[in-house]
Amino acid sequence: MTAASSASRRPRPKHSRLAWLALLLVAVATLAVIAIPVYLIMPFKSQTPRALDISFQLKRWSPSATALGLLATVALTIYLWRCCRWFKRTVLVLLIALAALLTWLARQNHFEWMFHPLPAAAFAKVDDATFVTDTDQVMTITVNDEAVAYPIRQMAYHHVVEDTVGGVPIAATY
Amino acid sequence: MWERNVDGRTLNFHLSGINNQNFIMRDEQTGSWWQQVSGLCIAGPLKGKQLQLVAHDELPFALWKREQPTGRVLMPDERVAAKYEPADWEEQYARLRVVTPTSPDDALKPRDLVIGITVNGAAKAYPMAKLEQQAPVADTLGGAPLVVLLDASKKSVRAFERTVDGRALSFSLKQGAAQFTDAETGSTWEFTGRAVSGPLAGRQLRRVNVLKDYWFDWKIYHPDTAVY
Repeated sequence: MTAASSASRRPRPKHSRLAWLALLLVAVATLAVIAIPVYLIMPFKSQTPRALDISFQLKRWSPSATALGLLATVALTIYLWRCCRWFKRTVLVLLIALAALLTWLARQNHFEWMFHPLPAAAFAKVDDATFVTDTDQVMTITVNDEAVAYPIRQMAYHHVVEDTVGGVPIAATY
Repeated sequence: MWERNVDGRTLNFHLSGINNQNFIMRDEQTGSWWQQVSGLCIAGPLKGKQLQLVAHDELPFALWKREQPTGRVLMPDERVAAKYEPADWEEQYARLRVVTPTSPDDALKPRDLVIGITVNGAAKAYPMAKLEQQAPVADTLGGAPLVVLLDASKKSVRAFERTVDGRALSFSLKQGAAQFTDAETGSTWEFTGRAVSGPLAGRQLRRVNVLKDYWFDWKIYHPDTAVY
């Protein structure tokens, strides 16, 4: 039995137009779920409470929404595969690639691409801190007699540094 | 600076967005969003919760070294050290754009640096330019007599309640020294708020939290603020 004869026995999809429409809708919807919050909470733009709320909800649901989108895209591609020849099949494969990309993006934090976090912050004794000059500004706290300085030139990049000072878990933020 | 304990749970925060030029952090545990400058949770399961403030200073490194010779200092992360802010970051930041609406009849410009103080619900902004000329500044805010001190570099600010034993003191700069004198007892005080000589030697003024901020940002979070 050749591949061709097996293909001829399987019927062509009956609702291929509907399936193509569904594919397109899934692609547009998942793209919007990812792109809208990126657009709304762009730096050097003004944000409204409503824009923040929309962004929060979209980001919250985007991991499951994009995973479902990927699943639906794969299912519709299997259904549609017999419909057509290489050109449309290439489109199907590209749509799967897009869905996979969006599913991955939903699990990324692009703000931490721009400003790498510092999950394991390291510290030096005062006398060994040759990387800070006397006139550099530092953010400082003292908790239960433990004193820590966070140079602002570093803080303005990382923005958030977690620490435990004098037994108290804190977030140094700038 | 914020405590990471909320309702008996320790949270881990990540940079996750920006809201009118102040960043948003997300906690790993609940996914809620928190505003950096106010410590308020603005979205998610913990919405409405407030992080506990940990009082902090912004000081020149030399001054902090003198005050805390046994402290520890955050080390640079070598992988990203090239991206750290340059030494003149303050001048560069002052030129950055402001995107929120500003009032044309405002006496202050959006990027003017102010020292923001809140006492008993009353908020006031003390422009840095004014403090540089007039500090130590005596004022009363929310019913509390305060003094705002500047260090010798004129960059760092601390505020204290200036009442000692029921008497409000008035401070002036001690000539030729980075110290202060009160008119009532003639005691000498340091930038730490501690009296080092005179009748009140050994006494410590109570700290009042200050926030160094841009005027536009302070105004967003304290719309009813007074200006010194």
